Amino acid sequence: MLDRSLLPATLATLLATAAGCYSLRPSAGAGQADFSPPRQPRAEAVAVPPGYRVELVATGLTFPTGVDLDDAGRIHVVESGYSYGEDFTTPRLLRIEPDGRITPIATGGRSGPWTGVTHHRGNFLVADGNVLEGGRLLRISPAGRIDVLVSGMPSLGDHHTNGPVAGPDGWIYFSQGTATNAGVVGRDNFDFGWLARHRQFHDVPGADITLSGESFTGENPLAGGEGRVTTGAFSPFATPGRPGQVIRGTVKCSGGLLRVRPEGGEPELVAWGFRNPFGIAFAPDGALYVTDNGYDDRGSRPVWGAPDVLWRIEPGLWYGWPDFAGGLPLTDSRFRPPGKRSPGFLLARHPNPPPQPIARMAVHSSANGFDFSRNARFGHEGEAFVAIFGDQAPTVGKILGPVGGKVVRVNVRTGVITDFAVNRASESGPASRVGVAGLERPIAARFNRDGTALYVVDFGVLLMSPGGAEPKRETGVLWRITRNQ
Amino acid sequence: MKKPGISFAILVVTAALLAGGCGTARRGAPLAPAFVPADPVVARGQQVFYAQCHHCHPHGEAGLGPALNNKPLPGFLVKFQARHGLGTMPAFSQDRLPADELDALVAYLAALRASPAPEIAD
Ligand code: HEC
Repeated sequence: MLDRSLLPATLATLLATAAGCYSLRPSAGAGQADFSPPRQPRAEAVAVPPGYRVELVATGLTFPTGVDLDDAGRIHVVESGYSYGEDFTTPRLLRIEPDGRITPIATGGRSGPWTGVTHHRGNFLVADGNVLEGGRLLRISPAGRIDVLVSGMPSLGDHHTNGPVAGPDGWIYFSQGTATNAGVVGRDNFDFGWLARHRQFHDVPGADITLSGESFTGENPLAGGEGRVTTGAFSPFATPGRPGQVIRGTVKCSGGLLRVRPEGGEPELVAWGFRNPFGIAFAPDGALYVTDNGYDDRGSRPVWGAPDVLWRIEPGLWYGWPDFAGGLPLTDSRFRPPGKRSPGFLLARHPNPPPQPIARMAVHSSANGFDFSRNARFGHEGEAFVAIFGDQAPTVGKILGPVGGKVVRVNVRTGVITDFAVNRASESGPASRVGVAGLERPIAARFNRDGTALYVVDFGVLLMSPGGAEPKRETGVLWRITRNQ
Repeated sequence: MKKPGISFAILVVTAALLAGGCGTARRGAPLAPAFVPADPVVARGQQVFYAQCHHCHPHGEAGLGPALNNKPLPGFLVKFQARHGLGTMPAFSQDRLPADELDALVAYLAALRASPAPEIAD
């Protein structure tokens, strides 16, 4: 037994020594790596459970984000056309032929990011995040004709228009991420690139809200760092908020989950209060689930330790952004970034007590596109297979070890998360980070129609430097995972 | 009361062990055999871990916080850290983490750590 009188000091010293102290250690994120092209992915570098097989379906893609198959089982992929790091390419819908050749079906000019695709009644539905002109939902015919089903989504900021998926009710579901990290436009948005483009852009709520009035003062990058400006929540940069100020809600809101008829028309708001609800999927029992990227430790209102979550959606509810993370209030001291103050509430009243998530995934891991297993032959029926893109530390905050670069499965009954496809290395992380030829940045996971094959879209190499994101073109990959027995 | 000298020796030895953090922190599927808790207490602890700890210590590996699986963390240390949150880690009160859940959590972490680590040729 330890001497009682020495116990507290002993424990404190032990733990401090052991942890090596969070505050003293440098960030060691998923993108803090080196890369020299070309990327040479190999299926053998990816570990899956016994009985499963990994194959490379396509390589050399530029920023792929989504996959779906048509009625003939032909594979289609969308390339984003835009990546963090302000790299604009051309968004494209591509068909991957059985021999691996690539046939372009449609291109999107200088818009993007195209964030996902669903084949529906003979056409392709594509979410167009369009950071230059506003987000849209597109319908693309097999001949490449593009019709706009929805436009004017508030997608000019940090997060974009995402989805879409077809619901069992015949509606098309899609989502919209928020303009900012935590409700306040600031220096971080200038660093991302968009604030200089869209100086008036800010978050918009999904229902009328009343502000607490808290505002944030900082430097003015738009004036070359000269002078200080004060910015309120849900307000343009350099516009303070007032206590009691009412901000009108709108269907095309920030952090919203929406649905629209497949032929177009006015969309409806299903739920809001998300941050970046990137992945949308219906479970075999018909329930709707969404993955949501948690807050970063950045900007005027940084939040520490906020998980990415998996929500089961109850229509009509508000899910907590910008005042709760994974169902807990941001005023709780656990969310206070080291050396900074706790975020206060931005809303004077909350629309409803926010729901609790089904699962809490790694902080900053970027839990993205996902799908449910619905075939006993593949196994794990009813579990969600989620592509984990991996952290973008240090931009999003400090991290002690890389997270992501893998596919996990989530038991939605217990909240237990199990790795499904990972790199064969002694630590987690993208291939370029852990020095193998496997998964880089999985961004979407989707089963084929009969549920026997899981397609994993791998965005490619995205490095992070102190200056921000450094995406690498022509490093995207499509993987396929099947079961042998 | 025991002699402080003994406590101090334990302290130094344990600290030295912990500071090392030797070997990979990876456990379970798909690199090693799947970790499926047989004991109901361990199974309960697993659910508590995924609800409360996994997002900062993913599967017991490093993430926002340090790795837990690759160092000999005695149960009392895990409990002390969870209750007091030394350093930047948040503290977990009885309300958020009742004593029986914390016990189950400690049993789970011990079982996970003791499960085979993957053999990785790198
Ligand atoms: C919000 C993130 C967060 C959560 C949630 C969290 N931890 Fe931690 N944990 C940390 C950080 C960060 C450290 C390192 C502390 C430091 O050095 O300042 C740490 C350290 C530890 C240590 C000491 C490790 C060592 O190397 O000495 C243990 C043990 C631990 N955590 C267990 C837990 C358990 C059990 C839970 C769930 C009840 C939990 N943690 C939840 C972030 C977290």
